[in-house]
Order: sequence, then C-alpha cells, then structure tokens
Amino acid sequence: MSSVTPAIESEENSDALPDQTLIHIEKLNAWYGDFQAIHDLSLEIPKHKVTAFIGPSGCGKSTLLKWINRMNDVVPGARAKGRLAISGDASNDHAEINVLDPGLDVVGLRRKVGIVFQKPNPFPKSIYDNVAFGPRLHMKTSKSELDELVEWSLQKAAVWDEVKDRLHGPALGLSGGQQQRLCIARAIAVGPEVLLMDEPCSALDPSSTLAIEDLIFELRTQYTIVIVTHNMQQASRCSDKTAFFFEGKLIEAGPTEQLFTRPQQKQTDDYVRGKFG
Amino acid sequence: MSSIPDAIVNQDAKFLTDNAKRRKRLSLWFYFLCVAIALISVVILIVLMVSIWSQGQSRLSTDLLTRAHSELEIERSGMWPAILGSLFVCGTCAVVALPLGVGTAVFLEEFQPTNKLLRWIHGFVQLNISNLAGVPSIVYGLLGLTVFVYMFNVFGQIRVNESAGMEIMGYKHFYQVLTLEPGHVVFVPQSDPTKRQTTFDEPFQAVDPDGNPIKISIWTPGTPKPSDPAIRRQTVRAGAIGGTITERNWYYFRLPFDKSFLSGGLTLALVILPIIIISSQESLRGVPSSLREASMGLGATTWQTVRDVCLPAALPGIMTGSILAMGRAIGEAAPILVVMGAAVAKSSGPKHLMDDAVTMPVLIFNWAGRQQDEFKELSAAAIIVLLVILLLLNSTAIYIRHHVQKAQS
Amino acid sequence: MPLPKALQNREFRSTRSGAFSERLIVISLALCATATVLITVGIIYMLITQSAGFFRSEAVTMSGFLTDTEWTALQSKDLAQAKFGILPLLSGTFRVTLIAMIIALPLGLITAIYLSEFASARIRSWLKPTLEIIAGVPTVVLGYFAILVISPSLQLISDGAFSTFNATGAGIAVGILCLPMVCSLSEDAMRAVPRSLREGAYGLGCTPFETSVKVVVPAALSGIISAFLLAFSRAIGETMVVALAAGTLPTMTLDPTQQAQTMTGFIVEMIKSESEYGTVQYYSLYAVAVTLFAITFLMTLGGQIIRRRFKESYQ
Repeated sequence: MSSVTPAIESEENSDALPDQTLIHIEKLNAWYGDFQAIHDLSLEIPKHKVTAFIGPSGCGKSTLLKWINRMNDVVPGARAKGRLAISGDASNDHAEINVLDPGLDVVGLRRKVGIVFQKPNPFPKSIYDNVAFGPRLHMKTSKSELDELVEWSLQKAAVWDEVKDRLHGPALGLSGGQQQRLCIARAIAVGPEVLLMDEPCSALDPSSTLAIEDLIFELRTQYTIVIVTHNMQQASRCSDKTAFFFEGKLIEAGPTEQLFTRPQQKQTDDYVRGKFG
Repeated sequence: MSSIPDAIVNQDAKFLTDNAKRRKRLSLWFYFLCVAIALISVVILIVLMVSIWSQGQSRLSTDLLTRAHSELEIERSGMWPAILGSLFVCGTCAVVALPLGVGTAVFLEEFQPTNKLLRWIHGFVQLNISNLAGVPSIVYGLLGLTVFVYMFNVFGQIRVNESAGMEIMGYKHFYQVLTLEPGHVVFVPQSDPTKRQTTFDEPFQAVDPDGNPIKISIWTPGTPKPSDPAIRRQTVRAGAIGGTITERNWYYFRLPFDKSFLSGGLTLALVILPIIIISSQESLRGVPSSLREASMGLGATTWQTVRDVCLPAALPGIMTGSILAMGRAIGEAAPILVVMGAAVAKSSGPKHLMDDAVTMPVLIFNWAGRQQDEFKELSAAAIIVLLVILLLLNSTAIYIRHHVQKAQS
Repeated sequence: MPLPKALQNREFRSTRSGAFSERLIVISLALCATATVLITVGIIYMLITQSAGFFRSEAVTMSGFLTDTEWTALQSKDLAQAKFGILPLLSGTFRVTLIAMIIALPLGLITAIYLSEFASARIRSWLKPTLEIIAGVPTVVLGYFAILVISPSLQLISDGAFSTFNATGAGIAVGILCLPMVCSLSEDAMRAVPRSLREGAYGLGCTPFETSVKVVVPAALSGIISAFLLAFSRAIGETMVVALAAGTLPTMTLDPTQQAQTMTGFIVEMIKSESEYGTVQYYSLYAVAVTLFAITFLMTLGGQIIRRRFKESYQ
C-alpha cells in the first residue's frame, strides 16, 4: 500500500549518528546436505542495536543466526559459502573476524558471540556455577573477581534480586523466565560483543516475556543483539532493525518501524499483516 | 454404483453375536494364559531361592567365611581365599574396563564425525561393539589364555614349576642352603637366575631368614665339627648344594602373565567392556542436547563440554550400568576357569601381581561337580554368599538410580 | 554499574594450548575405541593361528572334522586313535539349545506381550525386577540348580529314564537363563510400536487378544526375531550350565534323556584336564572354538542388523 514511500525518509528519523555496521554478510549460501537453507543472502547488522530476524518457520533465519557463531559446525552435512565477517574493534583489540574461515578459532569466536536458546537450558548445577561456567573456561580469576563477575552478570540480566539468597541452590529450581534470564547472565559473563537470541521467549509465559524484552532493550547499549522471533509484536516492540526472510532468501531489511508500517515488498506486507506464516 | 455392498447389508444377527462372544472369550483366555506364564518366572525364582537356601543354610558358618578349601577337613572347608580372589580379579577388571569403556562411549557418542568416511568407520565400530557383546564369554577366556597367559609363546613355553619368560621387576633369586644346625637355612643372593643350582665349596656371604647378612664358613667332612650352635648356624658342609628360591615383592612383574589374577582380571575386563560401553552410551544419549548447545555456545570445546556437562549429567546412568556390569563380572565363571584353571587348593588371597587366585564362581563350580554331599552343600552355601554380594551390589545400583533421579528433578 | 575487574582485564586464556590438549584427549579416546576393534581382530587372529596347529596335523582332515561322528579328543591320549569329528559336539549343543528355546521363546514372548499390552503399572513394578534378578543370577548358580532340582525332578517324573546328566536338564536351565533376555528385547520392540496402531485396531473393534497378536506382534516382528536370534546365540555359547549338568560324553543322537557334551562343555573339560600345551588334542579346543565363534557371530550379526533395520523403521 505504501510501497512508493522512499526509504531515505526513515533514515532521517532514526538516531543522528549513522549506524556502524558490526556484522557484514555478503552473498551467503548455506546447505544442510543437499538442501539449500540460505540463498545468496546479504545483510548488515548494526552495532549496539537490536536486529530482529522474522519469517515463517523453515525460512532460514535460525540457520543464519547459528552461522554467526558457527553453532552449525556440529551438524553433519552443514556448510556455508560466502562472506560473513565481524568488524575489527580496537577497544576489544581484535582485527576483523572472518567467521567462515575453516581455520578460525571457534572457541574465541563463541566467546565474543554469545547465544541464548529457545528453551531455557541451565546446566543441572547451582545458579552460581551456571554463571561461572564460561569465565572458568576462558579466564583465570580469583575467587573475589569471580564473585563480582557473577553478581554483575546476574544484575545485568535483571535476575540478581530474585536469586541472590540462593546462589548455590539448583538452577533447575527457578521458574522458566528466571531460567532464561539466568541463561542470558551466563552468556554475558564471558564478556561477549554480540548476543544471538534464538526465539528466547517462545517457551515463556507473557509476563516473563515482557521481562526479557525489557532486558533486551536495556542490553543493547552495550551489546549488539540479534534476535530470531516468530512473534511480530515482539520484533516491533524491541528491535531497531528488522530483516524478513522467506524460503531461505532475504526479502526485505530495514528500520523496524518502516518495515512494519511501510514495507517495500508485497510478501513482507502479507506476512506482517498475518496473511500467512 | 455407490449402493452399500451386500456383505454389509445382509448380516446374520445370530452369527454376529456368536462371533463377538467367541472372540471375547478367546481374548479372555489369552489374558489368563499371559498371567499364568508371567507367573512362571516368579515361581522359577522362588523355587531357585528356596532350594538353594534349604540345601546350603546348614553350612553357613564362620568357617565358610574365614577358612580355605580343604580336601582333608571337608566339613570345615571355606571360601575366604575365593572371596579375596574375586575381589582382586574384579578390582583389576574394574580398573581396566571402566576407563576404557567410558572413554569409548564418550568417543562414540560425543565426537561424532561429520565426514562420510569417518561416519562409516564410526558405524562399523558401533556394530563391532554390539557383536562383541554377543561373543560367548568362553571365547574371551580362550583369548585371555592365548594373549595374557601364554602371550602367543613369544617368551618361551611355560613349564610346570619354572618361572618362564621375562621377569621384569620385584623379584630376588636366592640359593637356599641348609646349615649344620638342623632346620636352619641361609639364603645366598643369586646373580645368574637361569642357573638351577650351585655347589658351595668356599666361604661366602649370605643372609639369614630374618634378612641379616652373615658370613658363612665351610666345614669339610673329616675335620672336627664345631660344637657351638651359633657357629654351626654359620657353617655349611663343603659341597653343599643350594636350590633356587625366589622372593617376590607385591609388584613382581613378568611376561607372560601366566595363570595369574592379573590375567583373569584383564580377561573379565574384555567380557564386560561391551556392556559398559553400551550402557554408558545410553546414559550419554539421555543427556539433552540443549545442554551441549549451551556449553558449546559459551565457547567450550567438545571435551570441555563432555567433562563439565555431559559426564556429570550422565554419571548416575553410567554408574548404574557399571555396577550391573561388575555384578556380571563377579558371577562369571567360564572365562576365569579357562584362564586361571579349575584348581581351588589355594589357601590365601593373591600375594603379588603374578600370583594365582581362586574366585567364588570357580569354587562353586568345583564343589558342585564333586561327589561328596558335604561339598554339594558347601557349594549351595557359597552360592548364598555370592547371591548376597550381588544383591548388595544391585541395591546400590537401584539406590543410585532413585536417589539421583530425585536430586535432579 | 562498572564492568567487573575480570572483564576489564580482558585476560582470556590462549586457545592454542587448549587446542593441543584437546587433540591429545581426542586421540586417547579414539585409542579406547580402537581397542574394541583390536579385541575382535585379536579373537579372529587367535582362532586362526591356534586352530592352524590343529588342522595342520596329519591326524586331522577337514572333511573328517566336519563329517566324522565321533569325538574322542579327551578320551584318547594316543593321537593315532583319537577321532576328531565335530558332529557329536554340534549335536549336543543343538539338543541343549533346542530345549532351551522351546522354554525361552514362548514364555519370553508371552511374558513380553503381557508386560507391554496388559500389565498394570503395579504388576510391572514387581514383574520387571523379578526378571532382572533372574537375568542377574550367575550361570554357575543355574547349573547348580539344574543338577540339584531339575534333573532329579526329571528322573522322578520319568521313572529314571533320564540319566543323571542329560540334555534336557541343562536345556531347561539354559532356557531359564535366556527367558529374561527374550522378554526384555521383545518388550522393547513391542513398546516401540506406535500407539496409533493399537488405537486403530481397537477402533475397528478388535479384542485385546487380536490387537496384540494380529497387530502389535507383526509390527514388532523384526525386533522379536532379532531377540530370538540373540537368545539363540546366547544359548549356544552358554558354558557353566552345560559343564555342570549336560555330562561329559559327546553323543551323536537326538535323545534328550542322554548325556550331551556341547562345544562349550568340551572346552571346559579340555581346560580342566590340564593336558599338555601344544598337542593336537589341546589345539582341537581352538577348532571347536572357531566353530562356536562362527555360529554365534553370524547369529548376533544377523540379530543386530535386523534390530537396526527395525529401529530405523520407527524413528
């Protein structure tokens, strides 16, 4: 309906500073065995913003997300071609990371690019040990430093007040929403730059969902967040940029407000208006 | 065209009710048959327990638990060396089979290859393990006999009363000589272990049975014999012949292993290895993959994931499976019989790594096959002891299963 | 809130040394897995090299081994008089196994049907442990049970027609031993049959009997057959029961009341006799072991392959 509106207009509306691109994706193709899950996809993900991937199931959005920190490595037959790079960063002293480089240090990549899954999956350990799991792998810390780090991460994930009295109690005793925030605390405890979230609220009740969404909004000042979601309201509520995928192709990407109010493509329009998916 | 077929319309009402009745009756009969047959296994178990208890309970005594097998005092024969022997054999078995089995299971479950050729090899190893689980235990016994006991005879043929092969450590050879004082022996360190005996004509250095060094002088027949017992204790007759005696430390080690408890334990390890692998694999498969993803997503390597997440989560299952496998090992007789022989005369537990041993099932087998009623009853009593030990083991396994299930929920 | 010190320091562990130790661990785990392959190779190598000592002997011919109807490796110390025909041992094994299967297969299968289709949770909770206890009874104990209870009862019933050691007593004990195995494997197979199939059958008005026998059992058939094969192979390889209860005389007959030395029984007797290592009689035990291994290996392999197929068809 409003496909005539020029895209330039929306850029004027957004923040004064031009977006800095953190993750560059160019002509990416990905397969599971013989099945091509992603076709020739190019996309830029801005730094310290929330980018949402939306689209019907099987559209390749989760596949793309999992390629960003190479979680697909363990899937037999999964492979990808093209360019997927994370910009160099002086303050985090690393040069540009070419994610698909077979010789890449995947462990280091996953420390910089954390991931939160659909279902809360805390380890069957204490709350403290869950958060300390990553730091213990990656850093040498004294007991007091670790305590500080655990508290900081839990506060960042807005779950500290609820768990501070039972840090050494089992993580599986928490409610679903608390578990998911614990998983976010666990992910940020290793100091990542990017947080990938694969439908983080789909297994939660509405009030927990709201808490997580608020948290996502908070966290974007420090982290670049990519969130995959089925829920279009969620994408419109908490993201800055939205990308719409269909059958392995990127149909449209742009500032969230624009994509939801004035989509350029008919498929996007149909999808955001609930005609399919 | 689409009128209802005759078969549906023209139904004999009487036939229908009769047929339904007949089929229901058949079903009921079948149900009773099932119940009856399922009860048979319960009956079998009860008859087994009762008959063995009534046969063996009269022989359950402290003698049974503290004494050794005796041909002369059949009444007072016991199974203490067999209990010790089983402990040593199964201990060896556990030390070897547990790490090997769990390691294999971890490798097969957690390090699944993505490449086609490796996947094929992986499948082959998996099939091989299921096949090993079906190999009769007596074939493992023969493998143990050939590989551990004789080591394909590369170290020379084993002969009776001769320590064949390569002695590696923990041994001291001595010549043993009688002094002039009756019943008193001294030991002379032997430098050349292949020499069977030696003749003493010159004074020499020796040690007494307590290990103190003493100088031994020679008494030539025809000259006056020393009369002081202390001197006689340090004097031997010229031309005295020393026979070899070997002192073995607990870490005595030689190749081949011969019919030692070590051979037995290693063989049993082969028998239970497939069981441990398969049960550990099943427990690892039960660990939700979301936990693996979480750990990998935090930048843990596969091994770190296994060590910190998968193994702790699968531990109760692995322990239960391992305990059940150990139960199998304790009761296993055939491979032990082949490897260590059927002799039960040993009066103590193993003294060194290469010492032989008797195990409980072999003792039971030996006693059960004898003519004397005393031995038959002793056998039943030994079975009761063995079953009690197995029961304790299995209760531990069940306890672990329930306890941990509760703790994790 | 300030960034915690640990994150300000940004001192992350180098992944280089980690990658090295990781590789070391993977290699050692792979070696564990290789050990299992080595065991198979070891068994086959041993059987071939050691039985070569038997087949190379002038007193032995391959055709004689396969067709002679006498086996006197233990009885004749003189090699010239010794007869090496595997058939009597095979016949003994066959008799004992057949009797064991007559006991174990129907009982195991029907118990499995009962457990998977009819039994309430309460009955399951004590019937399953009963079967597990029977499965955990050491075989030497069942052998003792055979000579203590089964054979005397057989003699009592038949008015002494059975000899003290006989194929039937041993066969029944072996059957008891295989029963839990048949039962649990078949039950697994039947539980894997999807509920919808049963619902479909009940929906058509089938009785519980018809549902289990005409729908569930055929659907689980390959799983049940593989259970039978595995039990068969277990019975053939069973040693202690036959060593105690089946007697020591190799007989070539179909009479279940007679002694029946089996292949495994012969191996035990040979070992017990402590005959000299290296004689043809001694090596003959490896020839018997080859036969035993070949038969059980083929059965287990067949059972495993069928089982895998079955599993795949429902997953």
